[in-house]
Amino acid sequence: MSSTAATGTVTGRETSSRPVSGRFELLTYLGSKLAAAVVSFFVTLVIGFTIFSLMPSDPVRTLTRGRPTSEAQLAHLRLQLGLDKPIWERFLSFVNDTLHFRLGYSWQFQQSVSSLVADRLWPTLLLMGTAMILSVTLGLWLGVRSGWRQGSLFDRIASSTSLTLWSVPTFWLGMILLVVFSVGIGPIPSLFPAGGMSDPALPQSGFGHYVDVARHLVLPCLTMVLVVFAQYVTIMRSSIIDELGSPYLLTARAKGLTDADVRRKHATPNALLPSVTMIFMQLGTLVSGAITVEAVYSWPGLGYLTYQALQIPDLPLLQGTFVVFSASVIIMNFLADVVYRYLDPRVRAQ
Amino acid sequence: MRKNLRTVVTACALIGTLLASAASLGVASTASAASSTTLRVAMSSSGVDTLNPFLAFFNGALDSFGSIYPTLNSLDINGNPGPYLATSWTPSADKLTWTFKLRDGLKWSDGTPITAQDAAWTFNLIMTNSVAGTANGSLVSNFASVTAPDATTLVIKTKAPQANMMYVSVPTSGIPIVPQHIWQSHVAGLKDYKNDTFPIVGYGPWVMTDYKPEQYAKFDANKSFILGAPKFDHLIEQSFKATDAAVAALRSGQLDFIGALKPIQYKALVGQKNLTTIQETGNGWLGVEVNPGAKTRSGKPMGTGNPALADPVLRNAIAIATDKQTLVTKILDGLGQVGQGYLPPAWPQWKWAPAAADEQKYDPAKANQLLDTAGYKKGSDGIRIDPKTGKPLNLRLGIHSDDPTDAAISTYLAGWLKEIGVNLTIQPLSMSALNSDLAKGDWDMLMDAWPTGPDPTYLLGIQTCATLPKDDGTGGNTDAFFCDKTYDGLFKQQLTTFDPAERAKVVGQMQDLLYKAGVDQLLWYANTKDVVRTDTVTGLITGSPNAQGLYPVQTSFWNYLKAAPVTASSKSSGNGALIGIGALALVVVLAGGGLVLRRRSSAGDRE
Repeated sequence: MSSTAATGTVTGRETSSRPVSGRFELLTYLGSKLAAAVVSFFVTLVIGFTIFSLMPSDPVRTLTRGRPTSEAQLAHLRLQLGLDKPIWERFLSFVNDTLHFRLGYSWQFQQSVSSLVADRLWPTLLLMGTAMILSVTLGLWLGVRSGWRQGSLFDRIASSTSLTLWSVPTFWLGMILLVVFSVGIGPIPSLFPAGGMSDPALPQSGFGHYVDVARHLVLPCLTMVLVVFAQYVTIMRSSIIDELGSPYLLTARAKGLTDADVRRKHATPNALLPSVTMIFMQLGTLVSGAITVEAVYSWPGLGYLTYQALQIPDLPLLQGTFVVFSASVIIMNFLADVVYRYLDPRVRAQ
Repeated sequence: MRKNLRTVVTACALIGTLLASAASLGVASTASAASSTTLRVAMSSSGVDTLNPFLAFFNGALDSFGSIYPTLNSLDINGNPGPYLATSWTPSADKLTWTFKLRDGLKWSDGTPITAQDAAWTFNLIMTNSVAGTANGSLVSNFASVTAPDATTLVIKTKAPQANMMYVSVPTSGIPIVPQHIWQSHVAGLKDYKNDTFPIVGYGPWVMTDYKPEQYAKFDANKSFILGAPKFDHLIEQSFKATDAAVAALRSGQLDFIGALKPIQYKALVGQKNLTTIQETGNGWLGVEVNPGAKTRSGKPMGTGNPALADPVLRNAIAIATDKQTLVTKILDGLGQVGQGYLPPAWPQWKWAPAAADEQKYDPAKANQLLDTAGYKKGSDGIRIDPKTGKPLNLRLGIHSDDPTDAAISTYLAGWLKEIGVNLTIQPLSMSALNSDLAKGDWDMLMDAWPTGPDPTYLLGIQTCATLPKDDGTGGNTDAFFCDKTYDGLFKQQLTTFDPAERAKVVGQMQDLLYKAGVDQLLWYANTKDVVRTDTVTGLITGSPNAQGLYPVQTSFWNYLKAAPVTASSKSSGNGALIGIGALALVVVLAGGGLVLRRRSSAGDRE
């Protein structure tokens, strides 16, 4: 794979008319993908706005539920939230705000959606990013070895364990881990905090704070990894199995390479493409967080923020987070298309 | 290969170091706890929407305001108005002018004196500025003017006599008074003002020193607080999105107190070491609302409610066919009381019970008899036919889709109503969708719940004809489209009845009308269930249990003020975490070492 990529890479060192043609093809390719991404984004905006606006709801009554509110107060709130405006006017305002990188003003938190998203972006990326790195590493490692030794004890254990964990409801697994490792059971003492991102009693800056955050990260991250890594195991395992009978592996062995080298240097790179697709798909949804894990461990992420927005429903917040999530998926898909061009010569040939 | 080994060893060492550092943090936390004391409690599950007291609706925010901003009155542990900033309050002979005498010598947390002018400025701002009135505008809607003739006198003139004046500015549920010298510069941009400059200038048992959205709020004690100094030095309210996680934190010593547990959580904690569990008398009800025929204020019918429910006989039959005691026993696990009067038992001053002849006891045979007599004949499928429309009695029951309690109740109700020939279709909807349907009259029956403080004015008010929507569908705030002129007259009367006993009588008549109307069929008053650690806190629970073993309603204001540390070094979470983290660090290092040795031993094979 590495050699294929090297020969196919368009570099400045190559001469004659080929670089110009290659650059043109690249730009055409990127341009078409970018245009598709932009169109997708705007279609998504329209769909998102329409769906959320059609939801049967009474945000003013829901917001003021349980509080003494007069008719004048309710009328003022409806005015303040813009609920008195026709839907087309609200849509135009939404599109205009989005084009100017403004995400609106949250009805329930009474502050800009962008500030709410910014507050929760780092915790979300920390949790989801760490969980993804670990689950990808673990999943691919297990998948390669399981596929390479198909039917072995290692394969059977790895495959069955990962599929069992994949089938477990995230909320349930989170609660079990919480009880075992936070409360402690039998000889197992309380190892990790039950929730939150840091211990409020400790200083909220410096090295100690980062270690404290790492402690709080362990259980939510572990829950995510245990549930998610199976998909990488499954895909990587089946991809490796597909490669097992390939003639190029026989050639590699005939050249005297060790079994590990054949697996690592030849089989794995060629079997990686489906996993790359999966990884980029997951990267796109990274910012959307994980509602259940965030709820169980009280992690201040974007997933739970979206859930809070749905409850009212807080339409600007809902639409704002929807824009961010959609943009993230579309950008990652675009990047996947770009990376594919470098990873897979067949894409370049098309 | 050696490079890989070095990487593994380095990674293990790094992880081990990190975990060891975490352990040392636990030690630091414990050491810190030894020098100062911190009360750690779970924040209200609703969280904080904003720290701007003019805009906030969520209970987490209101609890915080009760801790950091003063009010004219306090409420004692039984919910009776008492002194706070005001030491006395006197109505004029015509009951239209109230004179509050305020304490002299109190100071905001930045040292500026607290005067009656601060209170007058706060009230006037809410009365004159629609943004400032967002959260509390209705509480001053009867105010004609508020003035401060001198630093310790506040004069409030009302448009009509107002018997509940002492409840207008009380901690948590009333209007918090803010320092004018801080807030007057933020009036122009009040809608966008987050009030997040710490420490927040205020006056109360606590000073807010830090707040992180969806994580925590931190407070320092105001040791010179006029109603008694907090015994703890610090207070931390930590946000937990799932009560189960909060319970886990309490059990492992990371929290000292949690309020409002679910029955199953409560039962699991009863009798556990170092924990005390208590139940408060219920301060709210859960019930079924029945649409009696939605109408606008002018009497124009609206919505898609089943017209058969306009018949009080049918509503009464539904009430009689509902076995409330079974619901309390089976769903609440016995931790509550069967619903009757519109106002919950937490406030005994409003206690009311129906006359024996009127009581809607569970009696399906009687319900069937009532419907037979009224002409509701059963069809071949066992479903009764509405004699007025000739249509079978198919009713919808809207329930909260995210509430397992609603789901459990609705299953029982569907079975019971089938026994009397009424077909119930259960419709799980979001709270917002239910609210939307309710406002438009597009419903037959709905699950609903309402809590109330000691002043019932608002809860009584949402049953008046004035809260029906206008003909264009706007302006409504009705609970269940109930409208009765006699009730409206009594509502006005209780507002102007200053004698508590007389007012209670009027309120009793109102509850009687509501009970007989069968529009709000109250199923139960759930006891509020709390748990507190006994090895770290004492004195947090206020009041004494009644004959049923139920405590009065607990408030964060008094709970945290009265709570005292058991010992200075009472925190235990650090030790557990320390042992665990140490053990884990050891495991990581050993695992890393084992991996290195294994790889070294098999290096030859790999080569």
